[in-house]
Amino acid sequence: MRTLAGVGSTPRAGVGTARWYRPEADLSLPDRPDAVDADAELDRYEAARDAAREALRDARDRTAERVGEKEAAVFEAHEGFLDDPTIVEDVAAAIREGTPAEHAVADRFDEAVAQFEGMEGRMAERADDLRDVRDRLLRALLAGDGEASTATDLAALPDGTILLAERLTPSDTAALDPDAVAGITTVEGGRTSHAAIIARSLAVPAVVGVGDALESIGDGETVLVDGEAGEVVVDPDEARRESVRESGHEVIPERVETVDGRSVEVAANVGGEAELAPAAERGADGIGLFRTEFLFVDREAPPSEDEQYAAVTTALSAFPDDRVVVRTLDVGGDKPVPYLDLPEEPNPFLGRRGIRLSLDEHADLFETQLRALLRAAATEDGDGLAVMFPLVTRVEEVERAVDAVESVADDLAAEGVDHAVPELGAMVETPAAAFLADALAERLDFLSVGTNDLAGYVMAADRGNDAVADYHDPLHPAVMRALDRTTAAAEGSDAWVGMCGEMAGDPALTELLVGLGFDELSMSAVTVPEVKARVREVDADAAASLANEALACETRGEVLDVLEIGERDA
Amino acid sequence: MERTVTVEPEAGLHARPASKLVQTANRFDADVSIGRADDGDDGLVRADSMLSVSGLNVEHGESVRVVAEGPDAEAALDAVCDLLTSPVEEADEEETDGGDAEDAP
Repeated sequence: MRTLAGVGSTPRAGVGTARWYRPEADLSLPDRPDAVDADAELDRYEAARDAAREALRDARDRTAERVGEKEAAVFEAHEGFLDDPTIVEDVAAAIREGTPAEHAVADRFDEAVAQFEGMEGRMAERADDLRDVRDRLLRALLAGDGEASTATDLAALPDGTILLAERLTPSDTAALDPDAVAGITTVEGGRTSHAAIIARSLAVPAVVGVGDALESIGDGETVLVDGEAGEVVVDPDEARRESVRESGHEVIPERVETVDGRSVEVAANVGGEAELAPAAERGADGIGLFRTEFLFVDREAPPSEDEQYAAVTTALSAFPDDRVVVRTLDVGGDKPVPYLDLPEEPNPFLGRRGIRLSLDEHADLFETQLRALLRAAATEDGDGLAVMFPLVTRVEEVERAVDAVESVADDLAAEGVDHAVPELGAMVETPAAAFLADALAERLDFLSVGTNDLAGYVMAADRGNDAVADYHDPLHPAVMRALDRTTAAAEGSDAWVGMCGEMAGDPALTELLVGLGFDELSMSAVTVPEVKARVREVDADAAASLANEALACETRGEVLDVLEIGERDA
Repeated sequence: MERTVTVEPEAGLHARPASKLVQTANRFDADVSIGRADDGDDGLVRADSMLSVSGLNVEHGESVRVVAEGPDAEAALDAVCDLLTSPVEEADEEETDGGDAEDAP
């Protein structure tokens, strides 16, 4: 048993058979012939570019569907490099001077790679992008039949493969079959490399940046990739394999209870229809946060009522026996939508965001969305629908939102359209909402805490600003007390209380959150199995004592000591 | 004609904002170039080239100068400056997967 260290990028582990992926091995260029038919070479270059463009668009669409629009955007950048006029002109000029197409491409791209290589951060990533585009073009040229990819072998890996590579490009990771891959490990790369990000999204265990030591592993060896510990273990012993089986977190499809019988719903946060099936596969008890922004961004006009109805009913039918909590449109702040003409604000996080826009500037969008939601609530699987309003700070906002729901219900009734009023709730993302939690709980069916924003507003620290990153941990006593105030208010009412911020998905905090009184925890689907397993180990009484102890703390350090967790990244 | 604007997208002129800029510059019948406001004419590069735009390594908050010539110069300037001054949607607040890789809870 040998252990190599790298950077863990998915908090999971997997065991399988090592298989090296060396795409550069098939890219040896032929010798430069003396005389070249320039026109024929130009045609070859053109055909290769067409094939590569088509493959890039496929990769973009596939990644958008499997992972998300954001991760797919890299392929648009690749298309930009592929058709970059400065590159295209130089390559064509070199070909006209008698250079064969593949050499002209390799020379020009290598020159471009050199421009970015050895630089920091984003510039270094551009070098990777350029290599990726270069190799795609070269493969298309060398294949000669316009087939622009060796991605086929990545799409057809045998089950239980641990994939080893120098580095993985976005094109490679887009081609991967996540079901066949038990783990990924690379020589290069950091936590923010494309490979790491996409592996995380696909929930494939990954350790990147292992260095040249990885070369000591041969094809066919048994390898364990532990993304939690950031370790790659060759020939792991039985004890270590056992630990993976335990940490592999079997999917628990049924609902879970604490040792003493308190049930806690473990749901998933979902940002698009493509994420519904993976959430169901990981045993999520429904959706605790269905973000509707995906319906509104990257387009010229808002989505129609029918389009929104279709999206919501799709989510409901993916979880026919569970609750699906849909958040009404939450734009503004850092989520602009061009056609909404949102005002420029000096401090958008304290500006026109969330429910504020829905009640005033965009009451029309809100009404359309509510119509779609109330119609969806009347469908076969619609009784699980719940609707929540973002960024509530005033009781009047809730009253007006409830009035809007009632008036939409009246309209639909007058039109003779089937509809039902779903459960209604508010997000607790501001200190105001936490202080008013009792008044909100009285008027609504549920409250759901968004810890990321709540921690930011309570601690007066912008999450995007690294200079104040250590202010941003929800384990600061001030944030903990805001959570407690919220759960206590819900406990004294008929409303249930959930959490849909990042904190909910941290298994190290499950006991604390159960102890604080959360009925529902909603998280990224990848952590659902582990949190479900943790809930089953928790004793609700002991958890309540732990929460009380944590609430008595005056500093974050004391809270960490009480929870017996070490120093962590905020 | 030309304009000077402050780059708003969090990613500066990298990744998505850069490819959107190139796509936009390509849509118009105009020669659009872009450079750092302080670098004068020597610092201008073609806005329709992903390589040149990425090579500027412009970060969020920097001031850039956009120059356009040709029949659609004004429309091109409008579209490009619009893009440069609107923040690109970043990962959602409650995102734990993908997107913001540094999102430790």
